[in-house]
Amino acid sequence: MKKTITLTLNGDARSVDVETTETLLAVLRNKLGVKSPKCGCDQGECGACTVLLNGKSVRSCLIFSVEVDGQEVVTLEGLSHNGPTPLQQAFIDRSAFQCGYCAPGVILSATELLTVNPHPTQTEVQEAIAGNLCRCTGYESLIEAILAASRE
Amino acid sequence: MEAMEELKFVGKPTPRIDQQEKVLGAARYVDDLDFGPNLLHAQVVESSLAHARIKKIDTSEAEKLPGVVKVVTGKDFPYHFGLYMQDRHIFAQDKVRFAGEQVAAVIARDLATAKRAAKRVKIIYEPLPAILDPREAVKKDATLIHPELGAYSHVPWFFPKPGSNIAHWRKVRKGDTIQGFAEADLIFADTYRVPRYAHCSIELHGAIGLCDHSGRITVWAASQSPHTQRHIFAQALAPLGFTHQNLRVITPYVGGGFGGKAGVTMEILAAALPTLVKGYPIKIHWTREQEFYNTYQRPALVGTLKMGVKKDGTITAFDYLIHWDAGAYVEYGANVVNASGLSATGPYRIPNVRIDALCVYTNLPPGGPYRGFGYPELLFGVESHTTRMAQQLGMDVVAFKRKNAIREGDKLPYGAPMTPNGLTECIDRVVKTIEWGKKEEHSDPNKAIGKGFAIFWKAPAMPPNAASSAFLKFNEDASVNLLISAVEIGQGVLTAMAQIAAEILTVPPEKIRVESPDTDRNPYEWQTVASHVAWGTGNAVKRAAIDAREQIFEAVHHACFLEKDALYLEDEAVKCRTQPGFALLLKEIVINGIMVEDGTYRGGPIMGRGTFMPRFTSAMGDPDTGQGGHPCVHYTVGAAALTLEVDKQTGRMKVLKAVEAIDAGKAINPQIVKDQICGGLLQGLGTVLYEDMRFDESGKLLNPNFTDYKLPTAMDIPDEVIPIIVETPQADGPFGARGIAEHPTIPAAPMVANAVCDAVGVRVKSMPVTAEKVGLALAAGQTEVE
Amino acid sequence: MAVAREFEYFRPETLEHSISLLGEYGENARVLAGGTDMALKIKQGVETPKAVVDIKGISELERLESTDNGLHLGALVTFSQVMASGLVAANFPLLRDAAATVGSVGIRNRATLVGSLCSAVPSLDIGPALLVHEAVVLTRSAGGTRKTGINKWFTGPKQCALEPGELVTGIVVPLPPGKAGGCYVKRGRYAGKDPAQAGVGILAMEKNDYRVAFCAVGPVAKRAPSIETCLHGQELTDPLIKAAQALVPQEISPITDIRASKAYRTLIIKVMLERGLKTAVSRLKGKPSAHGAIWI
Repeated sequence: MKKTITLTLNGDARSVDVETTETLLAVLRNKLGVKSPKCGCDQGECGACTVLLNGKSVRSCLIFSVEVDGQEVVTLEGLSHNGPTPLQQAFIDRSAFQCGYCAPGVILSATELLTVNPHPTQTEVQEAIAGNLCRCTGYESLIEAILAASRE
Repeated sequence: MEAMEELKFVGKPTPRIDQQEKVLGAARYVDDLDFGPNLLHAQVVESSLAHARIKKIDTSEAEKLPGVVKVVTGKDFPYHFGLYMQDRHIFAQDKVRFAGEQVAAVIARDLATAKRAAKRVKIIYEPLPAILDPREAVKKDATLIHPELGAYSHVPWFFPKPGSNIAHWRKVRKGDTIQGFAEADLIFADTYRVPRYAHCSIELHGAIGLCDHSGRITVWAASQSPHTQRHIFAQALAPLGFTHQNLRVITPYVGGGFGGKAGVTMEILAAALPTLVKGYPIKIHWTREQEFYNTYQRPALVGTLKMGVKKDGTITAFDYLIHWDAGAYVEYGANVVNASGLSATGPYRIPNVRIDALCVYTNLPPGGPYRGFGYPELLFGVESHTTRMAQQLGMDVVAFKRKNAIREGDKLPYGAPMTPNGLTECIDRVVKTIEWGKKEEHSDPNKAIGKGFAIFWKAPAMPPNAASSAFLKFNEDASVNLLISAVEIGQGVLTAMAQIAAEILTVPPEKIRVESPDTDRNPYEWQTVASHVAWGTGNAVKRAAIDAREQIFEAVHHACFLEKDALYLEDEAVKCRTQPGFALLLKEIVINGIMVEDGTYRGGPIMGRGTFMPRFTSAMGDPDTGQGGHPCVHYTVGAAALTLEVDKQTGRMKVLKAVEAIDAGKAINPQIVKDQICGGLLQGLGTVLYEDMRFDESGKLLNPNFTDYKLPTAMDIPDEVIPIIVETPQADGPFGARGIAEHPTIPAAPMVANAVCDAVGVRVKSMPVTAEKVGLALAAGQTEVE
Repeated sequence: MAVAREFEYFRPETLEHSISLLGEYGENARVLAGGTDMALKIKQGVETPKAVVDIKGISELERLESTDNGLHLGALVTFSQVMASGLVAANFPLLRDAAATVGSVGIRNRATLVGSLCSAVPSLDIGPALLVHEAVVLTRSAGGTRKTGINKWFTGPKQCALEPGELVTGIVVPLPPGKAGGCYVKRGRYAGKDPAQAGVGILAMEKNDYRVAFCAVGPVAKRAPSIETCLHGQELTDPLIKAAQALVPQEISPITDIRASKAYRTLIIKVMLERGLKTAVSRLKGKPSAHGAIWI
């Protein structure tokens, strides 16, 4: 069944026709041209599809797009309107990511963390990104980058 | 050799040149590419049984569904394919050989329709006995999984046994093991088991194929092997008239590989299906579930290892009988068996060696390459066993291993001499850092602390003529586009290659774009596997940069009448040793040439080329002994140790500290090397502590998801990881470099098993070494777990 | 994952409207709150509703507040909200500790406690905490409201006492009668998000009164009355713990599945009981700051 939804996506008002069965992830990628949220498992397990919904990190593969009508969605593309955020710069400076497929999810999870808890402990950092699976880095570089950003 | 000179870019922790794109959301992976309104979607119909004859396929109900474009079965593509042995078909033909194998595919206008239609394809099977255990499969009366084995074409270094389920039998015979065991004061044998594992790159397999109206096929694929894929596509589709000329493979950024995206698996569908629907791109993308059961899996093994040692700790004889569960098709996996089999001793000097590595067909998904290419599996046994033998001798484990550690010039199991290596330096530095020998007590009486140690080696497993090449072109601002076909799968190849070119050209790495592969435009690369690109592609890039530099010097020589020998590059300028004031900026000459007195120009656009192929390797060893060939270009070695906390009541483990030293020859980028060690070590720890693939009795995978296939999270890392780089130069490596990317995973499993035993006295002889195995053994008072 | 079966989506803004939709569609309706479980089931075809009733527009279900006798958690209260709530931290730290072991931030930001009660998996982390607090589940249907004690709520693996046409509006968690120290002990395959292989929730109260509940060692999360009786009125000592451990087999019915064997579950749950009891008692005796679930 078709519906039209409107949402604020990375600061822009967007309107799009969706099927009720379509996930937010699918609509972002296939209908709204936003490619940073990735499909790594489609079951809410890997965190690659993470977006910020009204400021909170959520799994866009477990949300039907109709649920976000009238709400605010931020993806990785939306963070750097005015250049890289300090957190993004910390990831760049650390050369933190290897393949980069988990990066959008990790960065958004860490963005949320530093918003609510600007000076986290290492354990808090680990907890914050525990839902974002990374097969490349062993997480060491990711944790270092987030802690470095928190010291800015 | 340049390694002796002062290096400006090589050996420095240069920031990764792919990082901005990845952090800012600009990086594009294959699933991110748009193909317009004509994009079709394919959904495969999979075998529900592990072994069965296909009696009938009825596609009529599927074809009736609106939106379905075509339903394709094995009849449409009765063609073989395979990398080293052509034992696969694009779709199952008369038989299915593993649960999940593709039997048919539906092409539809949208994915939901394709999925609905796929459910309507009716297949009638006649079940056949499914063989899941390789030691069952080699029994005389076992059902043959490939009765046609004798007819398959394969590389000359495989020795299949038609009429059995043995697809390849790698034999190594060195010295005289009977004599060697007779000389031994202690002989000990035991059996070790390693289950199957999944690569679990976060990016799934995906490919889009288009056969345009002129009959040219382009495949966009998440691939480690664009050129090899093109070659395999050309072989498979040759009956339809396709050759390399009308095939093109494009690979953007790849979201992790670990071997899983090497060779060809599902991508064959993206090449074949479009030939039936010309003009329409067709997308085929695996789900996470399919990713688990229908791509390569790390094969399983059962290995029985017998060793003889003298009282003084000298190893006299080694006998390893390995039954590999290589799966339903071994077109790639047989080479895992072959390559690791040749080096199954581990990095030890052993005069008398017998190795039998059997590549056995089973009715489980195809085994294939996985970071480490057989070595982590084999060394779980070897490094557990050498530890136990040292203990039985009453010798310090490290002293025992160090005493027998292979050194440069020692004879390898197949007769060739061992290459330069820093194994003893790796051992010594690890031992010092982990404070080996210092017993640690836990403050909690319910917990014990143990230390585990392991050494390792691995050689690239390649055909003897595996080649790499590079093009390099300058732009007006003296920035460079470097074209290679090695794939950035996360290992940092783009940055390392930029550093190598930068070193020769004095152009900083951030001004060098390294382009992702397009087989039409980028030059040949065998595959991004085997930890060989730092070495092989690195050599090609270095040669391309030297070629470009020669062209620049040639132009300057003709325009300025300076001797070429006197010219050198510095800070993006040509300078001259004999004329200190002379300097020509590269950006002024590399495109537009150099104007001479009469207003004409010399030089022109600078474009370098470089190729590399090892010239000393040969796979032509004796089939019965493995002696005589020179199958391995070199070995990368290392040592590792960890401190492990074990809960004596529950078996729960925690890695407190891990140290790993690897001899990189020359670390082109030490930060990238260290990050490989951290990441690879955790991947290895995952295989020993948490992960394994579980199959039911019918051969169906029980845990094709992250709920029950437990990838380590950020909460499951060691408290401390200390990577150590050792540098014993590789004479034929670029600036002395050799590969290190697979190696960090290798020691993880045995060193955990060794640490558990040290902490609580339980020897676990099968992977994974879970808390459950350890906890139950402790509760039952057992000292060994099969 | 393309959803093969279509559904109609409703987003009522009043409780009345949601109830009437649920009444109208009956068995063919499913309630959607956080969706971390329901959306997945719909995508996988495990659930094939004709109507999906999204209750996130009903603001009165967002209530997280104290009531006369305890705490009211509306159907839309997420795990993250429970973890962040000062009210919960002050009076129900056990609840917060258990909530923190569920999934990961991105799941907890969306998943609701009530939703997890409706999913009713045997490994429900929040189950033991709610059981020892003797929570009450509030439901509403066209026929009126209903209160169900949490001990009667779980009727089988992934089954609960919710009836067609009925909506869970919230949970009431009563305050313990006096001072209490709680502890949730969880064993997963690793420290990262994982369904429990076994879990035990304990509430130690004044006068040596103890409440004990298990999850993942039987078809449903449940209290352990024989163990509570054994402990009742006695100071916690090693012999007492041993006696309590001896009763464990009669309180659990673990199975062997991909996450753990029956033998291992039986082994660790005893260890967990001991460590949980000791921690709960030490918290009761004045270490209120030392909170957090125990992972073993």
